[in-house]
Amino acid sequence: MTRIACFVEKYNFSNSREAEALQSFRQTAEKLGHEFHFIFRNGLSKIPEYDAVFIRATTDPLYTAYVVSKTAWELGLRVVDDPISIKICANKIHQYRLFEKYGVPYIPTVFLSREEFHHKQIAEIFELFGKPVVIKAPYTSFSRYVEKASCETSFRDIAKRFFRRSDYIVVQKFMPSRFDWRVGVLNGEVLYVCKYMMPKGKWKHGVKRRGKPSFIWGRTVTLKRDNAPQRLKETALKACSIIGKGLYGVDIKEVNGDYVVVEVNDNPSIYKGQEDLRDKDIYEKILRFLAE
Amino acid sequence: MLKCFSDFLLSGVSCLLVVSNINLKTNVPTTEPSTFLKSSVRDFILNINNDYRYMRTGYYVSLHAEILGNDVIPTTENAVDAYRPPILLTRAAKNGIPIAPFMVTDSAKQIMAEFAFPVALFPVNPFSFNGFQTAKNRTALYKAVKSLSMNYRYVVCAQPLKGEISSIKSFFGECALEDPRVKAVARKVYEVFQIPVCKLYVQRLNGEARLCGLQPLKMEELQPSDIDLLSKMVSRFSGKGWSD
Repeated sequence: MTRIACFVEKYNFSNSREAEALQSFRQTAEKLGHEFHFIFRNGLSKIPEYDAVFIRATTDPLYTAYVVSKTAWELGLRVVDDPISIKICANKIHQYRLFEKYGVPYIPTVFLSREEFHHKQIAEIFELFGKPVVIKAPYTSFSRYVEKASCETSFRDIAKRFFRRSDYIVVQKFMPSRFDWRVGVLNGEVLYVCKYMMPKGKWKHGVKRRGKPSFIWGRTVTLKRDNAPQRLKETALKACSIIGKGLYGVDIKEVNGDYVVVEVNDNPSIYKGQEDLRDKDIYEKILRFLAE
Repeated sequence: MLKCFSDFLLSGVSCLLVVSNINLKTNVPTTEPSTFLKSSVRDFILNINNDYRYMRTGYYVSLHAEILGNDVIPTTENAVDAYRPPILLTRAAKNGIPIAPFMVTDSAKQIMAEFAFPVALFPVNPFSFNGFQTAKNRTALYKAVKSLSMNYRYVVCAQPLKGEISSIKSFFGECALEDPRVKAVARKVYEVFQIPVCKLYVQRLNGEARLCGLQPLKMEELQPSDIDLLSKMVSRFSGKGWSD
């Protein structure tokens, strides 16, 4: 019997599909004979009472989830997401540098420092990638802090905002597609495969509505992992292999039959009826990994 | 890491590169962060910066060194951990550094249930990194928790405040303060986290010094005497003399 703590924040329950998935984790854990308790940000002192920690709250080295992950790690508990994966995945610059080093195909990317942020450099980037370009803050998650710029004015406006929290930002070639592949990977094996569709007329999966706090999300089309293209899965596994052995969601674009990695996310979304639609065993696989 | 470094010193091979955003008074050649970040130097990297915060230039210098496969001080792991008070304290305690009890929470009520007033509060959010707040009563505590948690979006790290908290500038674990217990804490913190330049918060009580927090130094906090001490330490580290 393994005592598993699932670290969540209140917002994890605000989407009913996510809340249902969390209940599936709990029920599956109990069926397998494990204890499974939710712990919140005010319950960190209870971590030593557990054998494993499963983090579902958004991870970033600057958020509470990293404190949870590293505390569990220091105590020798099994933890998903582990602190190293969080550190790499939360900073896109870190992971693109690794992709470059280990030859993982990824979207054409340049990094821009605050010091080089001037007219000549911006013009060179437009020259290199054409217009528009995609500007990403290194700490992007859930499609936030990813914006498109078609002229120097909007480039400057976006970059200035992203430079508040990072001295470097990411600029990428704009590669429009109807969907991004999302490959769920656990411990070096493919867990699930989906297509994250772009909402109609939009270019990314989650888009903030003008003047409103709410997001609109594209549909999720799920495939059986066994039926997904082999080369897609190989690309996803290669990208994850340089990060770690945890749970990841790899975003991949298909361009003229080639697969290029957009990014690897730790802490990937798992919503009832979406990621778990075709492969029902994902809960069990994750829990068995935690209880190993 | 430490062992590897002493081997390297003994071997006498000069393959240390000092990357610094501070103007040092030393004979040891130094490189600007922006120059280093464009290079692919294979050396032992000593990264001297007043600020190693995640996603700041000081952090990217260490990251660049690691991606190139170099040994570096500080590592990105230590840079991330040392500035997060609960992780700093957990790892410090594990290594025998005296700390006060602490609690991670966004609830003033929970703090009051655990600790008597006054309490010290350190931020654990992505934005504020400077200083701490103290609360002597309920009203002050609610106000401090609300502000440091950025309206309850993040948590805070609370510690009972029994003595007096002083901030100490530490350069490779050396500080200008004479108190031997504080000196011992600074030295030990450097051994564990290897943050060459930082500000330590230490609580002194009944002859004991306890670690409370570690934060980046602001450039304007660096006095000429600090630069002297830092330069001396860099020279000593690199095994070369110090030109006064």
